[in-house]
Order: sequence, then C-alpha cells, then structure tokens
Amino acid sequence: MSSPRFVRLEDVVADPLFPDADLALRRGRHVDADDLALYTFLTEARPYLEAFYERFGAELVHKPDGYFYLLPTSDKLGKRYLRPIEMLVGQAMALLYLDPRTVEHGGTVTRDDVLGQLASVLGTDDLVRAFFPGKKKIDERVAQEGVRARVNDAMKKLASLGFAATDREGRTKLGPALLRFAEPARLSEPSEAVLARLAAEGELLVTGDEHTFDDDDDHDHDALDDDGAADATSPTSDPPEATRAEHEAEPRADEDAPTEDPPVDHDLPGAPSDEP
Amino acid sequence: METETRAPKDVLLALARQKPALELGSTDVVFLAALHLRGSRSALASFDEPTLVDVFEEVMTFVDEGKSRRRATHAIRRLRDQRTLSRVDHAGVVRRGEFALTRLGTAIAEFFLDEDALTREALTLLMRTLLTSLGGIVAQGAALVHTPEAFRDAVEAPLRVTVRDLVSGIQRRQRGFDLQQEELRHEVGELLRADWFGAVERCQELLDATGRTLRELGEVILRDTHAAQGLLQDVQDLAASAGSEPSVDAARAVMEQVDRVAAWGTARQRAFSEYYQYVHRFLRDVVRLDPSRALTQRLRDQLGGAVGRKFSLVVAGEAPPWLLRDGPPPRDDGPPVKRPKKPREPELETTDEGPDPREVLEAAVTAALTEGVPTLSALTERTTRDTPAEARFVAAGRVAEIAGKLVRPLARAERAWIPTGDGYELEEWTLPRKGVAL
Repeated sequence: MSSPRFVRLEDVVADPLFPDADLALRRGRHVDADDLALYTFLTEARPYLEAFYERFGAELVHKPDGYFYLLPTSDKLGKRYLRPIEMLVGQAMALLYLDPRTVEHGGTVTRDDVLGQLASVLGTDDLVRAFFPGKKKIDERVAQEGVRARVNDAMKKLASLGFAATDREGRTKLGPALLRFAEPARLSEPSEAVLARLAAEGELLVTGDEHTFDDDDDHDHDALDDDGAADATSPTSDPPEATRAEHEAEPRADEDAPTEDPPVDHDLPGAPSDEP
Repeated sequence: METETRAPKDVLLALARQKPALELGSTDVVFLAALHLRGSRSALASFDEPTLVDVFEEVMTFVDEGKSRRRATHAIRRLRDQRTLSRVDHAGVVRRGEFALTRLGTAIAEFFLDEDALTREALTLLMRTLLTSLGGIVAQGAALVHTPEAFRDAVEAPLRVTVRDLVSGIQRRQRGFDLQQEELRHEVGELLRADWFGAVERCQELLDATGRTLRELGEVILRDTHAAQGLLQDVQDLAASAGSEPSVDAARAVMEQVDRVAAWGTARQRAFSEYYQYVHRFLRDVVRLDPSRALTQRLRDQLGGAVGRKFSLVVAGEAPPWLLRDGPPPRDDGPPVKRPKKPREPELETTDEGPDPREVLEAAVTAALTEGVPTLSALTERTTRDTPAEARFVAAGRVAEIAGKLVRPLARAERAWIPTGDGYELEEWTLPRKGVAL
C-alpha cells in the first residue's frame, strides 16, 4: 500500500497545486474529474482542507456526482448568487446533461442546443417574454438576437464557474456540477419544502416569484467581476439587482490574475456575432 | 503522381478549367454499388451490355418499377457522362460494348458499401505487405546504389506506386473506421433513447468491443509504423548515396504518409478514451441513479413552472487579490511644450490713488469734534477748508452725515440756517465734544 500523499495540512499548503485549487474554489469554481490534476489533489487533501476552510466560515463540498465546490456558510468569505438568467440557462444545460442525445456528441452542446432546450420547455414566445418582461411591443428579430446574446453570456459565466468547459472545437462540454441546478428536483417531496431545506443549508436563496431578466447590466461587463457572477453580501429578495451598486464599488480583478480562455461563440447561421 | 510535381495552385486551376461536376441520384449510386458487388463476387473486370441491364433491373426491384429497359439505357449513359463508368473495348458501333467502373465509380461504390473500415486483420495484412515491399526495396537499392538508372527503377518506381498505394489503402480504411465510430456514437445515443436503463449492458458491450479494436489497431500501428519509418530512413540514405534526388523525395513523401497514419492512431485512441470515460460516467452517474428518468421529468417541470424561477444558487465569490506587478517606471519626459498664452483682454492698469477721501474727511471730522468744535458751521468750515469750491457742497453734506453718526446734536426747537462762506446755507447744529455724554 502506498503512503498517503499528505500527512499534515502543511504538506497540503506546500503542494504546488494548492494556490490554483484555493483560488479556484474561492472564486466559485466547481472542480470535476475533467480537471484531473486539481480534482485528484482535492480528493487526497480533502480531510485537511475541510477543516481549513471551516475556519473561513465555508464548507468544502464533495458531491457524489463527482465535483468539488466551496460553499460559504458565514459572512467571512464573499458569496454570490447566480442571476435569474443564469439560473434558467443552467437548468436548461442540466437537462441537456441528462439527455441521451448529448451522449452522441460526447457530452458537448452548442448554444443552439441550449436555446432549443429552453424554447422546447418554455415555448419561444414565453422565452422571449421571460427575457423582456413588461415590453408590450418588441421587434421579433431584435428580441431573438437579445435572447441569443444573453444566453451566450450566461453560458460563458457558467463555464467560468466550472459548470461547463469549452473543448478544442469550441463546443461547450457539460460538467457534472450542472446537477446542482437539479438539486431541488432530486427528491419527490414538494419543491417548496426542498427549497426551504436547501436554503437553510445555504445552498441557495429563495428569491420569490418576482423575477426580472431585463436588468441592463447583463451586458455591462464592467459591472461584473471576472467570474461573471453578481456579487452579494447579504440576502435580498432580488439579489442581482440589489447587489449591483455594491459590486460596482469593488476593485476589479488584477489583469495578471490567471484566467481561462473565453469560450468560443457559436453563432446561429446568419446571426450577428455577439463578440465585441 | 504528376500532380505532386506541380504547384497546388496550378493543379486546382487546371481542374477549375475542366468545370468538373458530379450529379448522381440515389438510383445511380445503388446501380454503381450493385455493379461493384457483381464485379467483385463474379471476378469480372468488365461488364457487357446485357450484364449491365441485368444488374440495373435487379436494382430497380429495390428502388422503382416499370420501364426498366428504357431507363437502363439512360442510367448507363448518365453514369458514363458522370465518368463513373467507361467503355473499355474501343469497338464503337461494330459490336456491343464492354464497360468497367472507373476509379471514381469504384470509390463511390466502396464509400457507400463501407467495405473499407479498418480491421486488425486488414491493417496487419497491409502493414506486413508494406514492410515486405520496403525490405525488398532496401535490399535492391543497396545492390544497385552505383547504377543510377537501375537504382531508380528498383527504388523510386516501387516507392511511388506500390508502397504509396499500400499506405493510401490504410488511410482510406482509417476513414471507414472513423465513419464506424460516428455510427457507434449514434447507436449508443439511440439505444439510450429507446431503452434508457435497459440499454446499459448493450452500450457497455459496444464500448468494450470498440475499445478492444482500437487498442489492437493502436498496437499494430505503433509497432509497424516504427519499423516502416526505419526502413524508409534506410531507403532515403541509400538514395542520397546514389545521388537520386527523386528517390529521396519519394521516400520522404511516404514517410509523411506513414507519420499521418501513426498520428491518426494516437488521435483516435485519445478521442475514444475520452468518449469511453464520458459514457461510462454517464451510465454510472445518470442512467443507473435515475432508472425511470424521474429526475429529468422533475427538472423539466421545475424549469417550465414557477419553481425554476424562484431560487438562486450560492457560489463562493471571494474578490481576487490585488497583485502588485513589477513594471518599468513611467518615463519622465519633462513638462509638455506649451506656447505662452496671450491674454484675451489687456489687463486693467492699477494706479495708486492715495488714501480714500471719505476716510480722510471722517478723520478730520473726528479730530475736530474731539477738540470741541461747537457748531456744525464751524466744523464744516474747518474740515472743508481745503476742498475745491465745486466739491464743497457735497463735502458739507458728508460732514453733517459723519457728525450725525459720531455725536448727537443738541436738540433745539428751532435751528437757525447759517450762511457759509461759499454761497451756501446750512442748518446750524450745536455739537457736544466727542466722547462727552449728554
């Protein structure tokens, strides 16, 4: 039997992979087996890191689906709430992750697949209405372009949080962490009870029925951090809106900080590029 | 072979001038495939017209009915126009023609019949033949290294024809194998769609079988391409010794082909390994844990209903630390060059006007009152003594004003008007000494 890789917390912290793992976790990244080096490191260092992060008021979570993430359980560590549009896109991606048709492509999807999934569940008209509430008259072409652009942005943000990755061909490879979006649907008990329990565990925030997608900062990247998620320091009824002003006051991430390659955009045929 | 000596641009230009086009319907493709099968099974190098008609009629039973005789003539002409079938007897109208499939026709038929998928047996056979041919070339080349003509015939010609055809055969079969892989992925997806939990075992078998095939192919490719590259290197050395540049080029071209074969093997191994792991994880984490697909249904309901829009996931969001960077100090280029600004308007000239005349007058009035001047007329006369005549009236008014501020005149029922020395009159006040309370 081989000797364990780590004997003390000091060994874990001294490991060359610790800084990358620590920064990724603190920035909200979900680490799965596709990121083999970090995943192996976290698996082996888990007993030490659980106690380590507990002192920061956070829980190192390892789900049976095969991914790690850091869950803040107090205010010592910053936390974010995913925006409504990211929640919708995340749930659509989770549905695709469970779809056998995705297996044909090795677990990869395009933006069109995500849009198709959203349209098939919500319906095209409801989808556009959900993204542009309160707008009585809206040009169909403009609305569809807006939906495409926002879905694209949301996919990029979710990829930066480790829910997905971009492969060599520019397709989005879905990760097991997407099953977090399916957590309230895991059990057959009433969803309200499940939501309440998960909210009590700090996994999610129940936002109520009020739901806005028409926040102007969806495309305002200055109002987002590098991870692309809205920041929040206190629970509110509408976290994305409530925390925008706070976030704008935060320092920007250093340009030298390591970042992932941006996912490549998949344009619809004939659709204008979303890239600036 | 000739095209390789020409620049690609020239080759493409010549091809464009020919205006090549290919228009084949499904009946034509099936006809070609049927001819290919008939030829290979009956060992026919060519077909006479009755055979062509016979094959076409057989095809028509699958795809269509009626008027097959007339349509057979059209179909044969169409295939000849598309250069997939050619007449090979040169007898013209003297007798019925003999026809054979062209290279294009054979390639199309083989593509659709998918006979050319790489198997371990086919690869092993091709590789052994390749290595044997290369071994023979090396032996002959070594013997004829000092006779350039004979060397070229013994080395260059086999390299350009036999060996390259063998390697091309391997590459063609690789493409067939790629198609098989695509079909396997499609089949796995279809199996899961049709019989979710029940398809697990079948998917597992398919994956394992393909994995084994790929492993075997990988072993053969790795071992034999290494040996082939060694022999080709020997050929190149011999060609260099013989001073045969065309033979060196031919050997290099085959080496590149063999490299591509090896790279294909490595790439497919890696791609399949990733796919294999993914599908296994899917079967284990998704299919086995959700045999009735209840999770999918509940998630659809969650997304489509109100629940999906009522919660927001929490993720860690520690602000990234500020990283101080070492950078070059900012350049000090000195102050920017400026042109002196001209004032828009000339500055106002300031002149020293001396003390304020009002202040002077006030000081004089104060001094006079302090000394005890009794009346306003006396005070006026004393303080305006040096004032020019034209300004004295104004000065008298100011004296009265100042005096009124400094002391309170003694009240009288009637105040007399006293003429002053400069043609004015003033109302006479009796003034107390300044500082004396009345």
